Amino acid sequence: MRLPSLLRRTPFRLTLLFLALFVAAAGAILAYVYFASASEAQARARTDVETELEALTAVHRTRGIDALNQALVERTIRGGPYLYLLTGPDGKIVTGNLSVMPFDLEGAPEVGRGEWSTFRLTSTDPDGRVQTRRSIGVIMPLAGGDTLLVGEDIGGIEEYLARLTQALWGAMGLVMLLGLAGGLYVSRRVESAMGGLNRVVQAVQDGDLKQRAVIRHTGDELDELGQGLNTMLDRLEGSMASIRHAGDAIAHDLRSPLTRMRAKLEVALIDAEAGKIDGVDALGIALDEADHLLKTFNTVLAIARLQAGGAPDPKLMDAAELAADMAELYEPAAEDKSIDFSSEVETGLMIEGNQPFLAQALANLIDNAIKYTPAGGAVKLRARRRSSGEIEYSVTDTGPGVPEEDRERVVQRFVRLDNSRTEPGSGLGLSLVTAVAEAHGGRVVLDEGPGAYDGFGPGLRVALVLPPASLS
Amino acid sequence: MRILVVEDDAEAATAMVRGLSEAGHDVTHAVDGAFGLLETQKGGYDVYVVDRMMPRLDGVGMVETVRKGGDQTPVLFLSALGEVEDRVTGLKAGADDYLVKPYAFAELIARVEALSRRRETGGVQTVLKVGDLEMNLIARTVHRGTTEIDLQPREFQLLEFLMRHAGQSVTRTMLLEKVWEYHFDPQTNVIDVHISRLRSKIDKGFERAMLQTVRGAGYRLEA
Repeated sequence: MRLPSLLRRTPFRLTLLFLALFVAAAGAILAYVYFASASEAQARARTDVETELEALTAVHRTRGIDALNQALVERTIRGGPYLYLLTGPDGKIVTGNLSVMPFDLEGAPEVGRGEWSTFRLTSTDPDGRVQTRRSIGVIMPLAGGDTLLVGEDIGGIEEYLARLTQALWGAMGLVMLLGLAGGLYVSRRVESAMGGLNRVVQAVQDGDLKQRAVIRHTGDELDELGQGLNTMLDRLEGSMASIRHAGDAIAHDLRSPLTRMRAKLEVALIDAEAGKIDGVDALGIALDEADHLLKTFNTVLAIARLQAGGAPDPKLMDAAELAADMAELYEPAAEDKSIDFSSEVETGLMIEGNQPFLAQALANLIDNAIKYTPAGGAVKLRARRRSSGEIEYSVTDTGPGVPEEDRERVVQRFVRLDNSRTEPGSGLGLSLVTAVAEAHGGRVVLDEGPGAYDGFGPGLRVALVLPPASLS
Repeated sequence: MRILVVEDDAEAATAMVRGLSEAGHDVTHAVDGAFGLLETQKGGYDVYVVDRMMPRLDGVGMVETVRKGGDQTPVLFLSALGEVEDRVTGLKAGADDYLVKPYAFAELIARVEALSRRRETGGVQTVLKVGDLEMNLIARTVHRGTTEIDLQPREFQLLEFLMRHAGQSVTRTMLLEKVWEYHFDPQTNVIDVHISRLRSKIDKGFERAMLQTVRGAGYRLEA
């Protein structure tokens, strides 16, 4: 990764920004520490010097120059942090631990004003190296023409401050170095993780839906993003596959009725030309076939819309009323086929639903049951509230049923089991029921019916389970 | 009957005009909602058949304007959209019935004729009479001649609808929509079974069958 491109990366930019902020803040704190400790040390030195000076001038005032001289000698011998120098009226050194009056610094103040002055002391250490150290002091003219200097070597403080400064710069450098390294690391890590995601997105854009993001199981937000992306792609791939499957199935299933219609029309044309039949009959047949095709198209469209957008315009409705109406509508048709039709409907089953779609779903279930139940069998429609609170419509028949291994398959579009091929039907009935159920937040459950008896059964029980209306 | 067909698709319009004319109606065609609106202002129509999707002024806009102008002529809406919400907007705009394309001609004609009839019978009737069949809407009783006919509530409703449209063809879809008030495809001919039960009650034992099957269309109650 070259630097210019690195600079464009969000994590690295953020790192730089935070680093700059951190350095500024740290710099401010360190500067404060520096100035505070420098002035603190100087102030202490001044106070010490002033106290010492006061003590010495007191000695001079009360006991005279000789006593002062004595005290200075004692102090010099005893050693201590202070610098002393007493000069006579002629300027000659009387006593002290300095060899010269060091007024060579920062403009020597006029002697006699008792002012502070800063100066440098030059000394030679045992190794012969010349050292220059900063000092401060007060020169106080005394009565009698003598002059007293009391000072302190503040070179120690200076050294300390210099070391402090050095340490601060070092720390600053380290912070910047670590920050940069951290920024690089973070941006590379993010880059590699994002890069993986970007590659997947790019591949998907190019039409490859098989690509998946690598999940590193770190549990961080990038992993979450990757997982989300994968789930999304799974769904997308699933629906693409089902669209493709539906497309194939539609093409396949519409081809046979189209072929049939074409053949019938052709035969009718030939027969009509030969004067053998009435063209009207042939046209009637062709119209029926066209209507059947249209119905298939409409159902496919309805399923697709339900799957895409949920139940259109759900309204509060009584599921029991719908069940009772459907039972009333279908009962004569069942009876005509010598099927014992019964219904058992609990009252007050409120749901939020689209009535025409639910009616269609129930119609499909009842129609299937009547279609596949042989004469002498029974069909039962129930509507009840489950113990879970869900509302369940169920249609049970005593027909041949659906083997357990096929139950998942029969709800798919255009799937018709072999033994049902002789009955008219598009293979869309149960798919529509499932689509209606799912669009209402419900589901379809297929079970065995009442079991085999007297040559009937085992039968099929199809339940359409819907969530109850929310009480709001 | 004078019918105004408002339809922008020339081919569909030609077919419709021809079909309705052959059924014995006087048909005028307008090519879009704006022309349709102009035509309605001339007056004298029994039914408007209005396509939903049209350039300039669409069906909903036209019907709304017509209704605002106080024109209560029955309107049959035609639409390629079969969704429930489309039906609802169509009916809300002021249409009286709704037919989804593609439709069978028999269905169109039956619905148009049913609409025009509705207008004629404005007053509240308490007794319906078709030939020797008599229905008392208050007492909920039906007689054919002197024989009282015992009907289930739904059979009563079914016969009432047929009697109100006596002499007209009514389709199975119309019966499901107007008698049961459901809009769905019943898959099998459940309506036929109900009709045959009703027929056995009102025609069995009588010389002349009143409840006729109209091939390719539905049923008709004849006096």
